[in-house]
Amino acid sequence: MSEMAVTPIEKSSPEARDELPATSRPWLEQIWLDTIGRATAKLGLVWIAIITAVAVFAPFIANSFPILAKIDGRWSSPLLHYITPADVTLIAVSAIALALWPFKRVGFRVKCLSIAGSAVIISIVTLIVIHPPKAEVFDRYRTLAKEGRLEKAIYAPIPYSANDRLRDQFKVDNPHPRAPSREHLAGTNPNGADVLSHLIHACRIAMAVGFISTSISMLIGVIIGGLMGYYASWVDLLGMRLVEIFGSMPTMFLLIMFVAAFPDYRSIYLIMAIIGVVSWTGDARFVRAEFLKLRHQDFVQAAIASGLPLRSVLFRHILPNALAPLLVSASFGIAGAILLESTLSFLGLGIPLGEASWGQLLTDAVGSGGSFKWWLAIYPGLAIFLTVLAYNLIGEAIRDALDPKLRKRD
Amino acid sequence: MIHYIIRRLLLTIPTMIGITVLVFLVMALSPGGLAAGLRNESGNMRPEARKKIEDYYKKRYGLDRPLHEQYLRWMNQVLPIGFKEPDAGFPKNISFGLKTPDLGESLLLKRPVIDVIVEALPVTVTLNLITVPIIYAVSITTGIYAARRRGALFDNAWGTTSLALWSIPSMWAGVMLLGFLASREYVQFFPPGGQHDTLAMQMPFLPRLAEDGFQRGWLLDAAWHLVLPVICLTYAGFAFLSKLMRASMLENLSSDFARTARAKGLSEHVVLFRHVLSNSLLPLITMAANIIPGLFGGSIIVESIFGLNGMGKLMLAATYSKDRELIMSETLVVGIIAVVCLLIADLLYVVADPRVSYE
Repeated sequence: MSEMAVTPIEKSSPEARDELPATSRPWLEQIWLDTIGRATAKLGLVWIAIITAVAVFAPFIANSFPILAKIDGRWSSPLLHYITPADVTLIAVSAIALALWPFKRVGFRVKCLSIAGSAVIISIVTLIVIHPPKAEVFDRYRTLAKEGRLEKAIYAPIPYSANDRLRDQFKVDNPHPRAPSREHLAGTNPNGADVLSHLIHACRIAMAVGFISTSISMLIGVIIGGLMGYYASWVDLLGMRLVEIFGSMPTMFLLIMFVAAFPDYRSIYLIMAIIGVVSWTGDARFVRAEFLKLRHQDFVQAAIASGLPLRSVLFRHILPNALAPLLVSASFGIAGAILLESTLSFLGLGIPLGEASWGQLLTDAVGSGGSFKWWLAIYPGLAIFLTVLAYNLIGEAIRDALDPKLRKRD
Repeated sequence: MIHYIIRRLLLTIPTMIGITVLVFLVMALSPGGLAAGLRNESGNMRPEARKKIEDYYKKRYGLDRPLHEQYLRWMNQVLPIGFKEPDAGFPKNISFGLKTPDLGESLLLKRPVIDVIVEALPVTVTLNLITVPIIYAVSITTGIYAARRRGALFDNAWGTTSLALWSIPSMWAGVMLLGFLASREYVQFFPPGGQHDTLAMQMPFLPRLAEDGFQRGWLLDAAWHLVLPVICLTYAGFAFLSKLMRASMLENLSSDFARTARAKGLSEHVVLFRHVLSNSLLPLITMAANIIPGLFGGSIIVESIFGLNGMGKLMLAATYSKDRELIMSETLVVGIIAVVCLLIADLLYVVADPRVSYE
């Protein structure tokens, strides 16, 4: 925290400084406390925490493979046998993040860097060490149970994987999609996959898309907006044309054009990159405005006069002062990215078939015959809605916390 | 003011050119390139058919030429002004002037793209023309109401409600409305899709009471089909505009001119509706330009759910069948419409508010 907190005091006007409590908390910390003081923001944070936890532990919550199984008198753990490098990395990194969080003396930057560093190292190590079987035969343990060879088995709370098509349970008189029952709490989709398991595994995609595409769009936005605001004059004029080109095009059309340009190469990473590339203009606009305002301030002039390189002036001296409004845009950006991804998946242009996504489930709600499967509409729709709403509420709360007019009233 | 208008008009030109460059480059540099349509179908195509498409691409883009020449050649055909016969050879029959823009030939529909777009555009524009006034009416009303009772129950409740409405994915709203209000399982109150009833052409234009009961008529039938799509397009727009309206009302309510008006002894009603309101509406003009591109984008989802044959559905069909000519031209047309909307909104703002100046 210390790193970022020192400079912004200069920015706040004399009145704003007077309002700070006597202890005079760092500005960013004050904003954070103001934000989570609001009930709506608290609700949003709780929901995101739940979704994150579900995303991290998805394979342990919903999995067709038993956690422990006794086959022909021998104990084994099929779940761990089939676990992927991504699962292990996610769990390990979130464990590290949770362990580091309580240490107040460790700087925010050190925390971030160590989490990012450990993520890279762990993912490389797991990729080398862990080799799950290429083909997942979901029926295997159910078949073994039928044959009586599976003597004991402890399953995850939901004993179906997201891609488990339940071929062995196909019945002519009870075809998929099936309505919710005790067996499938949220029903099944037309392929016979369990909807609840799908919802749980799709949290990962939603979270990943939200964070990665927003990071990409903010990176582009900050660099272009920063250069525009710092240099002004013709760089600004040129940059604003670029912003206008990307900003005035309807996002969905731009998005679909990019997706259509790569018809045979669709992957979740491509979708993330495309969403990032089409939605940076908002960030660029107000980073530019902030930089235009700040570039004549004394501390910036001092930084330039002392011969610091451009990179340092832009990102170390000016950017921290524009950081808090960026948080608002990040929060709204994540909500927007999740919405865009689920819309693309709904239209069949998003992530490849077979991967779990909330938008994909919605596609099958209205069948070709005009029949309506309510469980395929309500549950995934609610998941998208609540997640998007949570991020929007947090964004709104940060924006209110930043607004000096509102603060005066409190 | 005239200075501003000229400058604004001139700045639109690079944006327009930029959009064409963006659309062209994305398609030209993507895997498969401009002629990807040729590659996709080449497996099951008769040699003469293949030759025909090859010639088409060669004539349209000059695929053996460098990239910038391909772009200029394409621009020459897409623009409404240019050389009429690009292959006529330079010194001989060169004729420069106005012509109908040639947006290419759709491989999917085997028709000129411009015809297809001319058919689809009115549907999307109609949707927008109905949606925009509704969004504005609701936002302005709620904005005024929230600003007058700042901090009261309605203000806070509407703030959260509109944010929640904004967070509802429009495909979810569409699927739910369709499922619960237009399906056989639940209430079949609305038609499940399409623009008209199958018998619409035999209906009289206006609704009337005939001997055999009430007849809907062509107009009411069309409106009936548009109810659910319009609901899907409107609700998300309230949050932003209403918040803006509220903020601008609050600012003007505490301004000097409002105080002067009150000091003159004008009633609160007159102050509010004659002095404050007209000033508070100004920022909403510019927002029309931000909303219309969003609505065009939203129409992709709504049109695909409700089966309306507009620009959005056309774009999806083109994407599914990898018809690059259609995708390119359509993105271009939509982009240019959006830029023109932006321009009109900016110009209207200058006309409405003489205080605006560039810088």
